Amino acid sequence: MQITLIQALLIGLWTAFCYAGMLWGIYTNRALVLSFGVGVILNDIPTALACGAVAELAFMGFGVGAGGTVPPNPIGPGIIGTLMAITMNGVTPQSALALSIPFAVAIQFLQTFVYTLCAGLPEAASNALKKQNFTKFRILSNTTVSLFAIVGFFLGFLGAYSMDTLRNLVGLIPAWLLSGLSVAGGMLPAIGFAMVMTVMLKKEFVPFALLGYALAAFLQLPVIGIAIIGLVFALKYYFAEDDKQEKTAGQAATETVSEEESRDDWI
Amino acid sequence: MTGSNKLTTKDYRKTTLRSYFLQNGFNYSNYQGLGYSLVMYPAFKKLYGNDKAKLSDVLSENIEFYNTNPNLLPFITSIHLAMADNGMEYKETRGIKMALMGPLAGIGDSLSQFCIAPLFSTIFASLAMNNIAMAPVFFLLAENLTLLMIKFGMGAYGQRLGTSMIDKLSAKMSLISNAASMVGVTVIAGLAATFVKMKVTLTYASSQKAAKGATTSTVDIQALLDKVAPALLPVLYTLLMYYLIKKHGWTTYKLVILTVVIGVALSALHILGA
Repeated sequence: MQITLIQALLIGLWTAFCYAGMLWGIYTNRALVLSFGVGVILNDIPTALACGAVAELAFMGFGVGAGGTVPPNPIGPGIIGTLMAITMNGVTPQSALALSIPFAVAIQFLQTFVYTLCAGLPEAASNALKKQNFTKFRILSNTTVSLFAIVGFFLGFLGAYSMDTLRNLVGLIPAWLLSGLSVAGGMLPAIGFAMVMTVMLKKEFVPFALLGYALAAFLQLPVIGIAIIGLVFALKYYFAEDDKQEKTAGQAATETVSEEESRDDWI
Repeated sequence: MTGSNKLTTKDYRKTTLRSYFLQNGFNYSNYQGLGYSLVMYPAFKKLYGNDKAKLSDVLSENIEFYNTNPNLLPFITSIHLAMADNGMEYKETRGIKMALMGPLAGIGDSLSQFCIAPLFSTIFASLAMNNIAMAPVFFLLAENLTLLMIKFGMGAYGQRLGTSMIDKLSAKMSLISNAASMVGVTVIAGLAATFVKMKVTLTYASSQKAAKGATTSTVDIQALLDKVAPALLPVLYTLLMYYLIKKHGWTTYKLVILTVVIGVALSALHILGA
C-alpha cells in the first residue's frame, strides 16, 4: 500500500509525541504503543497489534535503561518495523522485528548523541540565572525534550516517507533469508524474557518460574490467570512477612520498655 | 526554626505533578540536575518570588548532578519544600536531597522498570496478540494510573512525615518489590513458554519401515518433543540466553546476532520453521 504525505506527517507527529513521552516517563515509547498509532493512521490495526506485541515482548528486557543508560530504541520495531509489515507483502511481524533491529540500534546512538549535545545546557542555564533571565532558564531546561520531539518527528516522517526505497531494499532480500529472519524474530523475545529474569529472578523465586511454565505450557492458562495465581502466592508472602515485621518491631519496643523498667528498679 | 510557611498542599501537589518534567533537560553532564530546578521552579518562585537574586541563586544551586527515579522524586521534592518552607537554606537541605537520591533510584527503578512495567507490558502484549484492539490503550492507562498513584502517594508521604520515614519505607518497599517479583517471575516464565516460537519442521522417515515397503511413516519431531514437555525448546533457549547474560555477561547485541544467525541457519537447513 501507498503512504500519503498526510499519513507520513501524522506518523511523524505520533513518533515525536511518543519519543518525548519517554523523558516524561509516560510509557509511550514502547513498541506496543508506537505500533498502535501507526496501525490507526494506516488503518491496519491487526497487523500493528501483532507487530507491537511481538516487539514489546522482545524489547521488554532491553527496552529498559536503569540509571540513565540508553538501550536500543523500540521506535525501530514499533514504527519502522510496523511500517514494513503493513506496507510490504511477505514481511511478517516476526521478520519485521528482525529487520528493524539495526534501526533500533541506530536510534540508540542518536539518543546518546542528543544527551551529549545537551551537556552544555546546565552551564548555559546557570549563566542565564546569573542574569536573572528566568524565561531563558526555562527554555534551556526544556531543550532535551524539544530535541527529542524534533528527532522523533523526523524518524517517523522519513521512515514513512522512504518506505518505497526500503521496500525496494527489502525486495532484494532472498526468500530463504526472509523466512529465516521470521524464525529468528520468533526467537528474539527469549532475549527480552531472559534480560528481565537476570534482574528479577533470585534463588527463592525459582519455584515461581516453574509455576509459570507449568501453568502456561501444560494447563495453557491465559496470562491474566497466570498473574492471578502468582498474585495469590505473592499476597500470602506479603501478609505473612508484614505480620512478622510488625511483631519483631513490637517485640523490640517491649524489650526496650522492660529494660527501662528493670533499670528503674535497679536504681 | 522560623518558617515562612507560604506553601499550601496545592503547591506540593503541583510540584509532584511537575516530576514529569524531571528529564526535560536530561544531559550527560549533570543528568537530571537541570530538570530538578525546573520541577521546583514554581514553588521556589512562590517562596522567594519577591527577591529575584535569591530565586536565581537557589535555582542555580539546584542545578547540580542529580539522578534518581522520577516516580519516587515527589518524596524528595516534598521534603525539600517542607524544609525550604521552614526557612532552611540550600546547604541544609542538600544533605537529605543527595542522601535520598541513590536509595530511591534503586528502589524506584526496580519497582517501576522491573516490576510494574514488565507486568503490564506482558499482560497487555498478550492481549494484543489475541487481537484485542484496545490493549495498547489499556496498557497506557494501567501503567500511568499506577505511576501517578505512586507519585501522589510519595509526595504526600514526604510532606506529612518528613525524613524519619525513609527506613520504614525501604523495609516496606523491599516486601512490595519481592511480592511484585513473584508475580512477575511467574508471568514471565509463562510468557516465555507461550510467546517464544521455535517449531521443529524436520521430520525423518523411518528407514526400516521404508525398506519393508510399508507406507512411509514419518516421525514428527515436534510432536515427540511436545509429548515430553510442551514448549521445551523455547524454554531451553530462554535459559541459554539467561545463562549467557548471567554467567558470561553477554550484551544484547551479541545475543541478537547469535539469535538471528541461529534462526536463519536452522531455517535454511529446514530444521526450524514458522
